[in-house]
Amino acid sequence: MSDQLSTLAQLAQDMRPLWERLQDKMPEILMATWETVQMVLISTFFSLVIGFMLAILMIVTNPIGLSPCRPVYRVVDFVVNLLRSFPFIILLIAIIPFTRMVVGTSIGSAAAIVPLTIAAAPFVARLIETCFLEVDRGVIEAARSFGASNAQIIFRVLFPEALPSIVLNIAVIAITLLGYSAMAGTVGGGGLGDLAVKYGYNRFQVDIMVYSVIILCVLVLLIQGICNFLYKILR
Amino acid sequence: MIQVNQLRKSFGSHVVLQDINMHVRRGEIFGIVGHSGAGKSTLLRCLNGLEPYDEGNVRVMDVEVASLDPHHLRQLQSKMGMIFQNFNLMARKNVFDNVAFPLQLWHRPEREKRVMELLELVGLTDKARQRVQSLSGGQKQRVGIARALALNPSILLCDEATSALDPKTTSSILDLLEDINKRLNLTIIMVTHQMEVVKRLCHSLLLLDGGKTVALGKTEDLFLAPTKDMQAIVENEFTLIPGGTNIRLMFPREISQQSVITQMARALGIDFSIVGGKLERYLDDVFGFLIINVQDQNIDAVLRYLKEQRLFWEILEYPSQQATDADHE
Repeated sequence: MSDQLSTLAQLAQDMRPLWERLQDKMPEILMATWETVQMVLISTFFSLVIGFMLAILMIVTNPIGLSPCRPVYRVVDFVVNLLRSFPFIILLIAIIPFTRMVVGTSIGSAAAIVPLTIAAAPFVARLIETCFLEVDRGVIEAARSFGASNAQIIFRVLFPEALPSIVLNIAVIAITLLGYSAMAGTVGGGGLGDLAVKYGYNRFQVDIMVYSVIILCVLVLLIQGICNFLYKILR
Repeated sequence: MIQVNQLRKSFGSHVVLQDINMHVRRGEIFGIVGHSGAGKSTLLRCLNGLEPYDEGNVRVMDVEVASLDPHHLRQLQSKMGMIFQNFNLMARKNVFDNVAFPLQLWHRPEREKRVMELLELVGLTDKARQRVQSLSGGQKQRVGIARALALNPSILLCDEATSALDPKTTSSILDLLEDINKRLNLTIIMVTHQMEVVKRLCHSLLLLDGGKTVALGKTEDLFLAPTKDMQAIVENEFTLIPGGTNIRLMFPREISQQSVITQMARALGIDFSIVGGKLERYLDDVFGFLIINVQDQNIDAVLRYLKEQRLFWEILEYPSQQATDADHE
């Protein structure tokens, strides 16, 4: 009985510094979370824009696409595969000159958005292309049969019909970017990844790392939850 | 309305259509028939430019389809509706939006009114706001028909339109097609492998096998006096009686109501066996055939009688395989 009480007392004693440390680091954790959210949102947006354009180019020129053009498809297909085969951490460093050119610096969240977008855009292109390819070919043929143009087929048939699966794939992309953003953090990008490494790895403050991980998990669940919800509505 | 001359098409080295000739008149229901893989659907897609062709001519409403630039081809396509075996509706849209879709693409005015007109024509007014996923097969095909008619086409192309439907639903869809053919003077091209559909609806037909024409002509003529090739594809086999002579009697429309067979038996005072027969409704008439087996000593008398009565008939050759089997018994 007394043993148990003393253990509890010890725990309470251990808890106090933990709690104090959290209070102490709270502004920094919130700031890191905000940076991460920003990086993920902005890079998801830009990679969707670029990826969507690439996906349209691929679905048009695909040998089984709207107006097949093998040479163009080959080139785009190759570039997409090439960029996707780069390990992100290498890409991050390799394109530093380009990043500097675009945002003027290679450090901070804004700078991290450039490699994040470049890494995710080909991934987005591939996923959206797959969504487009999954649209019933019969429906496309039907649209053709009453004289729809390629542009009309893309924006009035392919896009609306593929929208639910595109939304689900946006979750995949955003969650991947969340992971990438943690990597970007370690080389000066800021955010939760940076925080976790700075305190958890370099200073042995395991608790701060645990908080970062918990917040990352919550963000993943949140992204997936929102997209699942949208999918249900759209389907 | 549609004139096809010496059409040839191949996918790579595989020839899918060759030497196809056909002529479809305004207001006609024309059947393209054959087994799957015979090239029927490809031929249909050559008519509205969904498939290019290699040689020959396809003239639709006096224009050569292959000569059209994309813009004019789309305009021609808007004058030709098409329905499909799998309906090909947009699953995420409701009935109204599916029917309105071609009207949207072509920026036609008074969309609301036109869609409701079409839904009334196909009997789906009460389902306008339902999602197409919740409809039955027959209802989906009605939506398909309404959508195909949205732009007031002169020609309706049907690609195995009833093949995914049960017999009762098929019948109601055929009634609907027949009705719009008469009411709108719409030319209909039907691709199908279902003989019942052809007999029921088509004025003329083209029978394809392996991309070649097997038969072409008026439906009633072709079914009354089928060529050998056509028989092989079309007819159910009857087990013929060994011995004697098997004769197939054809009944055109005037004769099918008269009791020819019993009259013949009475007039000649002979007996014969009935092997099999069939009466069918082709379009609005009843036609049929009957196969009888006549003893060898009576054959001359029977043939003379048939000639006098101006009946159509032919002597069926006994399949050799079956003959040898019978000899062994």
